[in-house]
Amino acid sequence: MKKITIPAFALLLAACAPKAPSAYDKTDSVPAIFPDYTDVTIPRNIAPMNFLIEDDADSYITVLKSGSAEYSVKGSQVRISQSKWKELTNAPEINVQVYARKNGKWTAYAPFKMTVSDEIDPYISYRIIPVAVESYEKLTIRQRNITNFKEKVVVSNTMIQDNAQGTCINCHHYQNGDTDNMMFHVRQYKGGTILVLDGKLNKVNMKTDSTISAGVYPSWHPTHDYIALSNNWTHQSVHAASHDKLEVIDENNDIILYNTSDNTVSVIENDSSELECFPGWSADGRTLYYVSAHYEAPFGPDRKNQMFIDRKKLHFSLYSKPFDPDTRVWGKKELIYDAAAKDSSMTWPRVSPSGRWMVCCISTHGIFPLDQIASDFVIYDLNDYSYRYADELNSPFAESYHSWSTNGKWLMFSTRREDGVHTRLYFSHIDENGHFSKPFALPQEDPDFNREFLYAFNIPEFMKEPVHITPRQFASFISSTEATRSKYESKKGE
Amino acid sequence: MTVCENSSFPAFYNEKRGKNAIFGAISHMHARANIRYMTKVTTNKSIRLSEQLLKYIPILFAVILWCVLSFREQFFLKKVEDLSVFLFDKLFIMDSFKTPGGFLGLAGSFLTQFLYIPWLGALIWIALLLLSYYLTIRALRIPERYRPIALIPVALLVIGNMSLGYGVFIMREQDHFFAPVLGYLAALIPLFAIKRTQTVASKLILLTIWTAIGFPLFGTFAFIGTLTAACTTFMDQEMLRSKRLTILAVSLALIIFIPLIAYSFYTSYRLVDSWHMGLPSISDDQWTFAIRTPFQLALLFLPVMAIASRRLKETDSKNIIFQTSVYIISATAVWGFWFKDDNFRTELAMSDAVDRFEWQEVVDFYRKAVDAHVKSDDKAYDDRTAKLKGVKDQDTRNSIIDSFSDRFFEPTRTMVLYRDLALLKMNRALDEAFTMKDGGRLQKSRTQIPMSFQSGKQFYLQYGLVNMSYRWCLEDVIEHNWSYSTLKYMAMHCIIMQESEFARKYLNKLEKTIFYRKWAKGQGLLTADSVMMSVSEPYQSILPYMCFENRMTNDLVKSETFLMKHFSESEPPQPTPEYDRAALLWAMRTQNIPLFWERLYYYIKSNKVEQLPKNVQEAALLYGKLEKPVFDLPYSKEVENSYDAFNRYTQTNPVRNMKESAYPYSKKFGKTFYYYYYFIRDIQTY
Repeated sequence: MKKITIPAFALLLAACAPKAPSAYDKTDSVPAIFPDYTDVTIPRNIAPMNFLIEDDADSYITVLKSGSAEYSVKGSQVRISQSKWKELTNAPEINVQVYARKNGKWTAYAPFKMTVSDEIDPYISYRIIPVAVESYEKLTIRQRNITNFKEKVVVSNTMIQDNAQGTCINCHHYQNGDTDNMMFHVRQYKGGTILVLDGKLNKVNMKTDSTISAGVYPSWHPTHDYIALSNNWTHQSVHAASHDKLEVIDENNDIILYNTSDNTVSVIENDSSELECFPGWSADGRTLYYVSAHYEAPFGPDRKNQMFIDRKKLHFSLYSKPFDPDTRVWGKKELIYDAAAKDSSMTWPRVSPSGRWMVCCISTHGIFPLDQIASDFVIYDLNDYSYRYADELNSPFAESYHSWSTNGKWLMFSTRREDGVHTRLYFSHIDENGHFSKPFALPQEDPDFNREFLYAFNIPEFMKEPVHITPRQFASFISSTEATRSKYESKKGE
Repeated sequence: MTVCENSSFPAFYNEKRGKNAIFGAISHMHARANIRYMTKVTTNKSIRLSEQLLKYIPILFAVILWCVLSFREQFFLKKVEDLSVFLFDKLFIMDSFKTPGGFLGLAGSFLTQFLYIPWLGALIWIALLLLSYYLTIRALRIPERYRPIALIPVALLVIGNMSLGYGVFIMREQDHFFAPVLGYLAALIPLFAIKRTQTVASKLILLTIWTAIGFPLFGTFAFIGTLTAACTTFMDQEMLRSKRLTILAVSLALIIFIPLIAYSFYTSYRLVDSWHMGLPSISDDQWTFAIRTPFQLALLFLPVMAIASRRLKETDSKNIIFQTSVYIISATAVWGFWFKDDNFRTELAMSDAVDRFEWQEVVDFYRKAVDAHVKSDDKAYDDRTAKLKGVKDQDTRNSIIDSFSDRFFEPTRTMVLYRDLALLKMNRALDEAFTMKDGGRLQKSRTQIPMSFQSGKQFYLQYGLVNMSYRWCLEDVIEHNWSYSTLKYMAMHCIIMQESEFARKYLNKLEKTIFYRKWAKGQGLLTADSVMMSVSEPYQSILPYMCFENRMTNDLVKSETFLMKHFSESEPPQPTPEYDRAALLWAMRTQNIPLFWERLYYYIKSNKVEQLPKNVQEAALLYGKLEKPVFDLPYSKEVENSYDAFNRYTQTNPVRNMKESAYPYSKKFGKTFYYYYYFIRDIQTY
C-alpha cells in the first residue's frame, strides 16, 4: 500500500506544479529580479537563492533547470524548497527561465543562469546594528547557517546591560574560522574582551599603563597564540548635509600584539605622529599588514576637533612588517602603498588563506570606509604587490568589511549598494587569476528581507562551525566575571 | 428594606408602613413617631435613589474621563500614538515575540494606533477600563456593597498613564498606554478558568499551562493571574487545607521557575528582569520605579482582593458612606496624580501643528497659552507686591520674589523655539518674535528630557540640518523604539536628500499602517520627482536653509545651543533670504552685538527690504545707542517713540532686582526687543 501511495502522491504533486506556457512571445531582456541573482556564481552548498520578480505582470512562472532536475514556481516570489534546491545544485549550472503574463499574453524573458562552484564555509556571523548613530541600546552578534536560513543569536547586549548602564558588543573574530578560538569585545558596563580559547571562556582587559586603549580591531594569528589588535581613541561626528552621514576619526592609533597563552600585551607600532591601525596577518603568519596615516597635531583637547577639520588630509598608507612567530621578533616596516601620494586612503588589509591575494578598502580619506560612499575594494597580488580596483565587486556606494572563506575561494563583504545606507552581505567567487565573479546577496527565506529589514549587517566573518557557547552562557559569564588585566611586555626586534 | 437595617428604626415599621399611614396617629406619641417615620421614609427614598445613582458612578467617571481625554488631553494621546508603531508586517510581528509579553506588546501597539483619532482611542481605552472594573467584580466575586473597591485598580491604571508627563518621550515600550489594561484583563483569565475546574490535578494543570503559555504572551501579568487564581483557591474553605497549600506552593514555584526555563529561549533581556516583562520602563531607574508603581499596585490588588473578598460578606446594606468614600478617593487620586502642566500641553499641541506644517496654528497655540495666564500673572504680581510691602531687607525681598517665580507664566525653550520656527516659516519672525512672552521655564519633569530627544528631529529637519534630524531619529529608535514619527522624519530626510531607495524603505513601512498609508503614498510620488518635491511642503520651506556648506557637527545633546552656533558660524557661499532671516533671528537671540551687525548686513543684502522689521529696528536702535552704530539706518517713528519711552521709564523706575522689575517692565515693554535684551538673560536650555 505504502509503495503505491508515495509515487501516487509524487505524481499528484508533479501534476500540481506550474507548467511553463506553451505559447509565448520572447524578449531579449532578463527579468528584473531582487536580489539580482542573474548570471552569478554560487557555492554548491548555499541556501536556496530565493528572489522576487520585479517586472509588473499579472502572473509569473519560473522554471529552474539543472541536469535532470527541474523545478517550477508560480508567482512573483520565487521561493525554492531546500530539497529541490539541493537537487538543482548538484549540476554545475542552474538555468532559470521566467515567464510573465500581461494582458493575457505570456512573455518569456531571456534566461539567466547560476553557475554552481566551490563549497563555502557553512556558517557566518555578523553584528546587527542600527545605522549611523552613537547609541547602542540593542546590539546582537548573530550566526547564520548559510546552507539554509537558520539564524541564531550568539550574544546580545540586552542580556548584559543594566537599565541605565549600556553595554556595547563588537569586533567578533575567529582563528581560521574556528569557533573554539574566538573573541569579541564588551565595552562600558561589564566591559572586557571575551576570549574563547579551546572552548573555554576568558575575560581580559588589554589596556595597560603602556598602551593607549584596550584592543579594538583584531587579527588572530593563523598558527600561533597571538592576536594583533589596534588601539583606538575613536570619535564620530555627523555630516550636517551630505549623503555621507557620519565621519569617524581616531584621535590616536597604535598596534599591539596580545599573547593568548600568557595574557601579555606588547606594542607593535606606536609612533606618536602615526595613526597605525587595522592589522591583518599573512596566510603564513610571518608578515603583518597594517595601515598608517601620518598626522601631527599636539595631543590635547583641541586635537579631536582639529582632526575633524583635517579629516580629508588623513591618508592611510599600507605597510607590511615581518614577524617571526616562534621568537616573536619583529622586522622593519615597509611601505607598500603610499596613500598620501595618491590622495587616497587604504584600510582593512585582509589576506586570502592561499596567501596569494589581499583585498583592502580604498577611499578618498580617513579610517572608516563604512561611512564613505566612495569606499571601494582593491585586490593585491602578493606575488608582486601589484594591485587593481576590484571593479567586479565595487558599486557606487560604500564597500567595506570583508572576510575570506577558509578555503580561500569566496569573499564575503558588506556593501551599501542596495539603498546607500544599510549594509548588506554579498559574496563573490575568486578564480585562480584573482578575478571575482558577480557578487550575490546573502540568500534570505523572504527575498524582500533586505528591503524590509531596518538594521545593518556589520563585521561579517566566516565560520567553519557554529558557536557552541549559548547566549545565556556568554551573558552569565560576562555579567559575573571581572576582566583580568593583561601584563605589558616589551617588543622584541627591529 | 436595605436601608432599614442600617437605621435605628425597627424593621416592622417598614413592613407595616402602609398600616401606619392608613390608621394615622391616635396619640401624641404616635403622631411624633409617625412624623419621624415619614421623615425616614423620605430619607429611605432618597437613600435608595442615591444607591441607584451610585451604581452609575463608574459610568459617570468613564464619561468624564472620555471628555477630558478627548477635549483636553487630545495632544497627549496623539503624542502617545505618534511615538508608537504598529505595522501589518511579518518582521514587526515576529519581532514582538522576541520578548516575553509579546502578544501584549502587539495588541497594545495595535490599539495605540487608534489614538491617532483621540476620541476613538480614548473610547477604546475607557471601554477596556470599564471591562476591567466589571470583570474584577465578577472574577473576585466582590459583594455588591463593596463593588466600588474594584474601581481602585482601574484608577491606578488611569494614574499610571496620565501621570506620565514628559516620560512619554523616553518610554521604551511602544505599547505602554494599552498594555497595562490589557495585561490586567489577561490576569483575570485564569480566575474564571479555575472556577470551572474541580480537582486539584486539573487546577494544577490549568495553572501550569497558563503560566507557561501566559508568560510568553502576557509577561509578568501572567504571573499575577496565576497568583490570584492560587489565592482564590487557597481561600476556598471547602477544599482541604493541604490541597490548597499544594496549589499555592506549586503556583509560587511556577512563578519562580517558568521564567528560569523560558530564559533559555530568549536572547533579549536579563534574567533578573524576567519578573518585570511587559511593564513599562525607561532608562532612568527611579523614574521607571515611579512609572511602574501604579501598575504594580493595580496588579497587586488582584491577589490581595482574592484573599480579602472572601471575608467580605454580602449584606443587604450598601453602606453609602463607604461607597462614596471609595469613589471620592479614587477620583481625587486620579486627579491628584494627573500630569497637569500647561506648558507640556502647549508643547504637545505646538509639536502636532509643526508636524502638520500648520505654522499659524503653532503661533496660535503659543498665544493661547500666554493669554490664558494674563489674569493669574496679574494676581501673582499683586500678591507679591502686597507681600513685599514694607520689606526693606533685600535678601528677604529676594526670597519672596523667588518664592513667587513659579506663579508667573513662563514658556519652555521648546515652546519658544517652536514659535520662532513657525514665525520664520511665515516670514514674520523679525517683526513678531520679540513681541511675545519669552523665557526658559524648565520642564516639570523628574529629569529634563533633552530637546534633541523631544523635538530635535523637527527642528533640525525644518532648519535644513537634515542629517542631524536623521541622526536623532535613529538615536530615538535605539534608545526607545521605532515610531510613526521617526519613520516619517527619516523618510522626509531621505526625500530631501533624494535618496529614493532609502526613502522607500521607510515609506514601505508606513504604507503598512492604517493612518499613515495615504501620507506615505503621497510622499512616495516625491521620491522620484525632485522638482515636485522642491515645491511641496515641507520641502519647499526647508531647502532654502540648506545653502550652507557641509561640515562636521555634533550637538552634544543641546539642540538650541547647536542651532544658535550653526546660524552664527556658518557662512554659506550663496545664502538665501530665508537663511539670512533665520541667521539674523538667531543672532538676536544671542544678544551678541557684533554678531547682530554682521548678520544684519547679510540680511539686508539678500532680503532687500524697504523697511527693516520692527524687532530688528529696535535691536539696531538699542545696539547703536549702547555701542557705536555700524550702519546708518532709518527707524520708524513708532520704534523711536518706544525706545524713548523705554529710556524714560528706566529713569523713573530703576531696576534693582531683575526678577522684581521684569513683570512691570514686561507689562509696558514686553513686546519690544529692549525688554528681551535686558530681562531675558541666563536662559537655561536643555
